[in-house]
Amino acid sequence: MSTLTDTLALAASGMRAQAQRLRHVSENIANADTPGYHRKFIDFRPAAIAGDAFGQESGVTPGPVRLDRGELTRIYDPGHILADETGHYEGSNVDLMVEIADAREAQRSYEANLRMFDQARQMSQSLIGLLRR
Amino acid sequence: MQVSASMAARSYGAARPLTSPEAEAAGSPASAGARLAGDFAQVLQRAETTAQQAMTGDADPHALVASLSEAQLAVETAVAVRDKVVEAYLEILRMPV
Repeated sequence: MSTLTDTLALAASGMRAQAQRLRHVSENIANADTPGYHRKFIDFRPAAIAGDAFGQESGVTPGPVRLDRGELTRIYDPGHILADETGHYEGSNVDLMVEIADAREAQRSYEANLRMFDQARQMSQSLIGLLRR
Repeated sequence: MQVSASMAARSYGAARPLTSPEAEAAGSPASAGARLAGDFAQVLQRAETTAQQAMTGDADPHALVASLSEAQLAVETAVAVRDKVVEAYLEILRMPV
């Protein structure tokens, strides 16, 4: 495989990883009001891509899902079925502000990878276009 | 200049190995062309498999787009090379003999 097709595969691995990240963000937002829900997040790690010319881990893959061990918010609602003797129950530890920022960051990284993909494709196309003249 | 029959025969004999076709070496143009065609078929095959998997929901769209772009570039390369070869052939045909 040539370097430019490697670039295509690398950009695709980056886009896949960011899509996975956005998936967990949407999962967190959907469960923002679920009692006892811990925020989920993933970290990225290097991975080999198919047909890697350099024989090393140059792509990216999302790591295993991890749970945020942060403290759950205590919500006062004596009428709630989960409320303890003080009238509080434990909500989720999802911070919507953090999730929205994370989603925006995933979008920007996705766009950057998309731009790289397009760039590599245009470069290959113009290289082959030289033969046609 | 006098040319004897034996000398002419020797000269012809010496010139013959130069014009006779050589045995197929590993790096010969023919085997390189065969390998190129094999690679090309492999890229197209991979694109087709990925497209089928994406239709049935097994592959993600990123893999589909990547392999389809790869196939597109491979086809464009093959078409450009073919055009060049046909052009060269026509050029030879037009050569006044």
